Amino acid sequence: MTMIDEDVLINALNDVADTFVVSSEAPDRIVAEAAANEPPRRSHHVPTVISQPSRGRAYLVAAALVAVIASISVPLFRSEGNPNRAVVHGGPPPFGTSAQKLPLGGLKGYSAPLAPRPGSQKGATITASGAATTSRGATSGVTSQKIESNGSIALAVDKGHVGAAFSSLNKLATSDGGFVASTQANAGSPRPDTFSYGTIVLEVPQRNFARLVAQAQRVGRPTSVSTSSNNVTAQYVDLQAHISALVASRRQYLVIMTKATTIDGILAVQSQLDALQSQIEQLQGQLNVLSHETTYGALTITVSEVGHHAHKASPLSGFARAWHDSVKGFFAGFEWLLRLAGPALFAVLTVGGLWGLARYVRRALRRRRI
Amino acid sequence: MPDDLQVWLAECYPQSVRTAYLILGNRLDAEDAVQESFLRAWKFRDSLSRESSFKPWLYRVVVNTCNSKLRHDIPRREGRVNDVNLVDIATNDDLPGRVALSNDVMCALRDLPVHLRVVVVLRYYADLSERDIAIAIARKQGTVKSRLNEARTRLALHPALRTDASRVPATSKEVNG
Repeated sequence: MTMIDEDVLINALNDVADTFVVSSEAPDRIVAEAAANEPPRRSHHVPTVISQPSRGRAYLVAAALVAVIASISVPLFRSEGNPNRAVVHGGPPPFGTSAQKLPLGGLKGYSAPLAPRPGSQKGATITASGAATTSRGATSGVTSQKIESNGSIALAVDKGHVGAAFSSLNKLATSDGGFVASTQANAGSPRPDTFSYGTIVLEVPQRNFARLVAQAQRVGRPTSVSTSSNNVTAQYVDLQAHISALVASRRQYLVIMTKATTIDGILAVQSQLDALQSQIEQLQGQLNVLSHETTYGALTITVSEVGHHAHKASPLSGFARAWHDSVKGFFAGFEWLLRLAGPALFAVLTVGGLWGLARYVRRALRRRRI
Repeated sequence: MPDDLQVWLAECYPQSVRTAYLILGNRLDAEDAVQESFLRAWKFRDSLSRESSFKPWLYRVVVNTCNSKLRHDIPRREGRVNDVNLVDIATNDDLPGRVALSNDVMCALRDLPVHLRVVVVLRYYADLSERDIAIAIARKQGTVKSRLNEARTRLALHPALRTDASRVPATSKEVNG
């Protein structure tokens, strides 16, 4: 590799640098200016931090670690095992959907407990009278528990009694303050190898849901009963809070709108208002749906004549069950990875951003050091 | 360690101006930069007590100020006319070849990236050791070494220094590896 000779370089640089005479007045000017602008003695905090790079680096590393841990843990805690977050104001811990297969032997007179998950929610049950209550609901303050319930019952009736069963179920729904959401029936012929069957969906107020489940079982011979409940209080509260915040923002923008004097300003505020209004309506829609779901419980009842097994699932063999579990586990693992990918990406971006910022600040401080 | 501004100026002002001139390529900019550097150095003289050596510390101020000027001030204004004429060397030393070489070196120096130019000037004009240069530019000593090597290689390959066939053999040498 060819390099320029050091001596030649030194001589040439000296020649170039010595081509002009340095002003002798400049130092005096500098002294005068320094005397005029004599600053207060510099505090030590800036140089101290910079002169101990390891200390500054330790701070940066600590900050980055905190950011990483927070960015990973917070979204995980929010998403994992916490689909329905706890109620504000010290509400019960998170709870999810519960689905319970009832024992067939004890269907008659079974009072369906609708506690979402035993032990996870303190005392949220459907009482014998069917009213949704909670032992802590009153203390939670702003919002009572919002529980959506649904269930399904399969009933077997004697041949030719499907229509009568539908009528009975219809009456049950209306007497409980509910209504028939949908019906679907298939009529068989008088031949012994054909059967009539149908499905009816009833919606009744939440407080009467358990009673409806109990009454519906008396219409025929229940072959399966399942009910589930889901506490959506946290989701409900979240939506309400979002809407409140957006409404407050809209109010502020309206105030700003009254003070806007230019067309550009008015258009800008109007644009923000439109966006806010759109969000509010969207969230309000979600809230309405949620409110309806928590107001009414849906019960799907399948009625079929004895001997007709419309929905009988074939039991899985050991090998098939293992295969089924394996596939299920595979997808569960994939879901877990996907769930983790979001927080991990956020953590990487956060660390990258912090690193860039720290580098920039470090350089800036190094320049300011003097 | 000098603790009085006048002492600082008497000891270091001329060489600082010339160093800044080599970095910036303009005498007026160099004087501005050095004036600003001394004022800043005086203002932050407290931090000097924690520095090992005065000279690298002062050059650090000068280099930072020059970098700041190159980054912010100089690109945003019309170029200043350099009022220094290298032909003046001929009046002191009647060697036209030396004048031409200095012209070419200055030309090649200007074409170097700033980070390389700074280490060349500090090493071969200000006569700072590699360790002091590392302090002055706030980089590791290894970085200084590699920058010096790269700068010398680039200077040797610069067209202004390569075309003059009569001088190249005298100004370059082969280094293995």
